Amino acid sequence: MTAQTIEQETPVIEEPGKRFPWGKVISYAVLVIFSILYIGPLFMLVNASFKTLADFFKDPISPVSSINFDNYSSAWERANFSRYMLNSLVYTVAATTIFVVTSVFVAFPIARGLVKGAGALLTLYVVALFLPPALIPQFQLILNLGLYNTRIGYIFLFVVNPIGMIILVNYIKSIPRELDESAAVDGCGYFRFVWSVILPLIRPAVATVTVLHAIGIWNEIILPTIYLTSEDFYPITRGLIVFEGQYGSDWPGLAAAVLMLMLPMLVLFIVLQRFIIGGLTSGAVKG
Amino acid sequence: MAIELVKKDYLFGRGWKSWTPILLLLPGFGLYLIIAVGPSLATAVYSFTDATGIKGAPVNWIGFDNYDEFLFRGLASRDNIAALQRTLIFSVLVTGIQFSLGLALALLLNQKLKGKIFFRTLFFLPVILGAVIQGLMWKLFLLPNGGPVSEIFGLFGIESEFLGGQPTEAFLWVIAVQIWANVGITMVIFLAGMATIDEDLYEAARIDGAGGWDLFKSITWPQLTPAINTNFLLNIIGSLQAWQLFLVLIGYRPGTQVLGYEIFAQGFGQTGGVSAAFRQGFAAAASVVLFFIVLVLGLSANWFVTRRERKYLG
Repeated sequence: MTAQTIEQETPVIEEPGKRFPWGKVISYAVLVIFSILYIGPLFMLVNASFKTLADFFKDPISPVSSINFDNYSSAWERANFSRYMLNSLVYTVAATTIFVVTSVFVAFPIARGLVKGAGALLTLYVVALFLPPALIPQFQLILNLGLYNTRIGYIFLFVVNPIGMIILVNYIKSIPRELDESAAVDGCGYFRFVWSVILPLIRPAVATVTVLHAIGIWNEIILPTIYLTSEDFYPITRGLIVFEGQYGSDWPGLAAAVLMLMLPMLVLFIVLQRFIIGGLTSGAVKG
Repeated sequence: MAIELVKKDYLFGRGWKSWTPILLLLPGFGLYLIIAVGPSLATAVYSFTDATGIKGAPVNWIGFDNYDEFLFRGLASRDNIAALQRTLIFSVLVTGIQFSLGLALALLLNQKLKGKIFFRTLFFLPVILGAVIQGLMWKLFLLPNGGPVSEIFGLFGIESEFLGGQPTEAFLWVIAVQIWANVGITMVIFLAGMATIDEDLYEAARIDGAGGWDLFKSITWPQLTPAINTNFLLNIIGSLQAWQLFLVLIGYRPGTQVLGYEIFAQGFGQTGGVSAAFRQGFAAAASVVLFFIVLVLGLSANWFVTRRERKYLG
């Protein structure tokens, strides 16, 4: 397989029609077969969401003949999904904003070496990637601060992100230092310089970091299980799991709920694909 | 004493003005210390105590008791060792398969093919959907009676309960879903690496009469070193710590859980809340054990990739 693959990377110039492109045909075949593993579960989900419960139990996989949205409206009513969705949105927006704003002012002096020990500070962020999540002491901290089962406490857990910090630092390093000098000569203050000169210049990195961090919060399931016991505070992930626990055998309803809650992420992903993939691969290939 | 915190060549003002960067750095860095670094280090301290999950309960210093119990004492310790072994098996299988599959997909999609953006997007999609949606999708897809996979297996005369079956079987399905969900990251990192390889290298080698396999062995593989290292380390560390899919797909079932899940179950019960029955000291000790495994395997992997890097990149 590999052999054909490489050969096709830049086709050798040859007389047209000389050879049947076996490499390409086999590549397509493998890709299409593999795609079934990705389209299949999605199709099953959509299909099930249009079935009545009786139809589903009779035959879960036959394609539906008519589309009706009853499962969607009833799932939406049975669980408090609009509340969950709003909660997720509040947590994600609040924590991401705090994280990005505070991080820019940490990343800039580290990238420029403005403060003594900037290298050590950066190391402290890199080391964190290897440490196990500090679940237990974090829990004790939140508990003793009286922030257990509160919105503030939950947001507090998400206001740092070492990978995001490293991406920001690396990007700022690519901004020429001459800019700092000319701004300083013009009498621009530090805060104004970072906020209104640097921040717009590092927009691509900020976008990447924002999206990565937001996705992490939106999809989190362990921390809401640990920290949020009131149903009023559930984000959608926890809401879905609880809904599954209650209506586990009602697959059509569950499928409709999953799809409704998946939609925002799907749209966001398609719009912001470039930043997401760019962020995940930045720094990964430079060595 | 701390006056020297800002470097001498600081541009934006003298005197008190030179303190601005420090003051603005403090909120972000302070939060990082309080939420991430501090608790990480404190895990070691808690592992020597009998802390529970309620506020204000007395916490006693109990030395190495938690470790002793976790590793050596009776039946429970045998379960813990089994969970530990399962963590390693999970990590080795996930790393090995995800790495190879990600590389194969990247090689396929690095050709001039119509629709390659579509395939790339499709394979990457689960990454952004998160464990809950990934898990629920596969729970439905793996429905034992009349589900699609069950029907296909039926054609070959295989009957299976999938996630509800024997512990080993359920465990293997979680591995499959874990790889399915994350192979997209491995793939895009490889693709980004391939994009940096100079096309002229292939051209020159082809003129010398090199075939496909030669090109892969002597150009793609060595040139891909940074991406290979990143993927290898990310996969090992990630898979040792991953257990969210166990939670969504099969829940806490004897004979299936990995160390991460064990820590959660001991420290927080299985459903969350606040309780005196939570054994947080014990869970902290288990976290420290997991940390050492990540450290040892991470460092060995790192030693291995650095040696490889020296060989290929000088």
